[in-house]
Amino acid sequence: MTERIRQVISRNIWKENQVLRQILGICSALAVTNLMTNSLVMGVGLTFVTAFSSLTISLLRNLIPHRIRMIVQTLIIASYVIFVDIFIKANMPEISKSLGPYVALIITNCIIMGRAEAYAQKNPPIPSMLDGFFAGVGYTIVLLIIAFFREFLGFGTIFGYDISFASFELWTIMVMPPAAFFLIGTLIWITSNIFAPKNTKKSETGRKG
Amino acid sequence: MKGGPVYTVIFMLVISAVFTLVLSLANAYYLPRIEENELLDDRRAVLYVFELDAEGGPEEVLELFENAVVSEMLADMEIYAHLDEDEQVLAYAVPFTGAGLWGTMRGYLGITPELDRITGLVFTEHNETPGLGARIDEREYLEQFRGLEITGELAYGPAGDDRLDAITGATSTSNAVLRILNNLIDRKIAELEVVLDD
Amino acid sequence: MFGNGINPFVIFFASILTSNMILSNFLGMCSYISISSEYKTASGLGKSVTLVMVITNMINYLVYKFLIVPLGLEYLRYIIFIMVIAATVQVMELAMDRFLPDLHVKLGIFLPLITVNCAILGTTLFIIIRDYDFLQSVLFGLGSGLGWWLAISALAAIREKMAKNKLPKGLAGPGITFIITGIMALAFIGFSGIFTIT
Repeated sequence: MTERIRQVISRNIWKENQVLRQILGICSALAVTNLMTNSLVMGVGLTFVTAFSSLTISLLRNLIPHRIRMIVQTLIIASYVIFVDIFIKANMPEISKSLGPYVALIITNCIIMGRAEAYAQKNPPIPSMLDGFFAGVGYTIVLLIIAFFREFLGFGTIFGYDISFASFELWTIMVMPPAAFFLIGTLIWITSNIFAPKNTKKSETGRKG
Repeated sequence: MKGGPVYTVIFMLVISAVFTLVLSLANAYYLPRIEENELLDDRRAVLYVFELDAEGGPEEVLELFENAVVSEMLADMEIYAHLDEDEQVLAYAVPFTGAGLWGTMRGYLGITPELDRITGLVFTEHNETPGLGARIDEREYLEQFRGLEITGELAYGPAGDDRLDAITGATSTSNAVLRILNNLIDRKIAELEVVLDD
Repeated sequence: MFGNGINPFVIFFASILTSNMILSNFLGMCSYISISSEYKTASGLGKSVTLVMVITNMINYLVYKFLIVPLGLEYLRYIIFIMVIAATVQVMELAMDRFLPDLHVKLGIFLPLITVNCAILGTTLFIIIRDYDFLQSVLFGLGSGLGWWLAISALAAIREKMAKNKLPKGLAGPGITFIITGIMALAFIGFSGIFTIT
């Protein structure tokens, strides 16, 4: 059992990292990454939603009619997102303000549905929940890495704290959209080099959403 | 049975009903708290433009507000007035609404009773880009408006003795703020002046 | 108010160029990256996204104004919006299967992905947040769709040209796609002087 959990962890955080290896959940990964705090909150929100919707979908996996499973999954995911939204509004009003419409966009984050389709609908509840949880953790880590560079170079801060010893001209480009694309492209380049020996011929057309 | 149209429809109905019910309960449970937060936010905003301590706990904020602020209907607006011990008006907080880059911005502009100087500016609601336009919420930006004299149009760059700086990388949002404020000063504050003169 | 302050045609052009859904709002990335290696397919997907976007935004706008607001169901709005989108996609899939079987063979597997295409829900949310009126909503939906189509077609065309080029190890595929997108986003910043949504 522990070996299995270890596998789930290493697979989701590293080997099949949802953002870097599966190229999923990019929308929000790029939109919120100019500040580390926002990235962290977004990551935690997504982790929660992925874990619990995977759990729920797994519990209901034998009951959901195959034809309408997408709609049912969407319904479940949307319900958790609304719950997160209400919960943050009630208990962490400051954070809710700073995330604005992005919380709602967790619904359309492909990672959640990806985990539901690929794992939760054919596996028992607890592993599914762990799988969803660690997929979210892997996502959060990537978000934080990108946000670190963007916030550090673009604003000269880390988690909002001034880094006074590092005084340099701020890179305005880092705050703007293109930098997010460049950074994620570079990260994917680096990680796919690390994995290159294992899957040497990964043709472009072989990739699917 | 499973996969048949009847089962599908029933399943969909049941699951929709269950989730909607749970969410309605959560909403009903948290709604008072959300509304409380919103009220508190609003109170803090008003205190902030009056240069009062807006950082205290909920009770302190509400008590301070209770003691120092009254609301009045002037020139078709619900305006908050900051009173001293002798019931003399120290400043007004005028609510404003306008178009930001991504959506409606709301907030308060604090202004002296003579309507010639800004005491503070605050936003209560906006949808600007997190990390860019949303930095209009930062103290560094808002504090620039304190004590600004209203002589003509507000503008960024060296304007008289005061310097107003826009936010780097968020020019559209910064401009939207000044457009809203200039608009407010031109129209509403002018109306207010007429009402106060009577 | 914001909703009535802007020329709908400015919204239309701005949503294609300066506020492009992909290049400046990062919405709809998943299918944008994975289905852009072939120009014809990409363009077909772009067309379907545009169509879904216009239709769903019209429906969502009406549902919001005449159902959600009057019934006070704001807290359920995300579920309702996503359900409308899912249902529209389902109906479109059936219609396409019937009338455009060739396209269906090519796009069939991607159609379910449109449901989780954040650009579509994103557009709806922007319409609600920014308080657009009906005409503005329709033109915004159309513009966003066309902008998405433009971006994915341009990317697919570049990738087709590049397919035979040698790239550094590991950069082929998604890596280079993101970097191209970054350069496209830089180029699109150049449009920013032409239209602004404020």
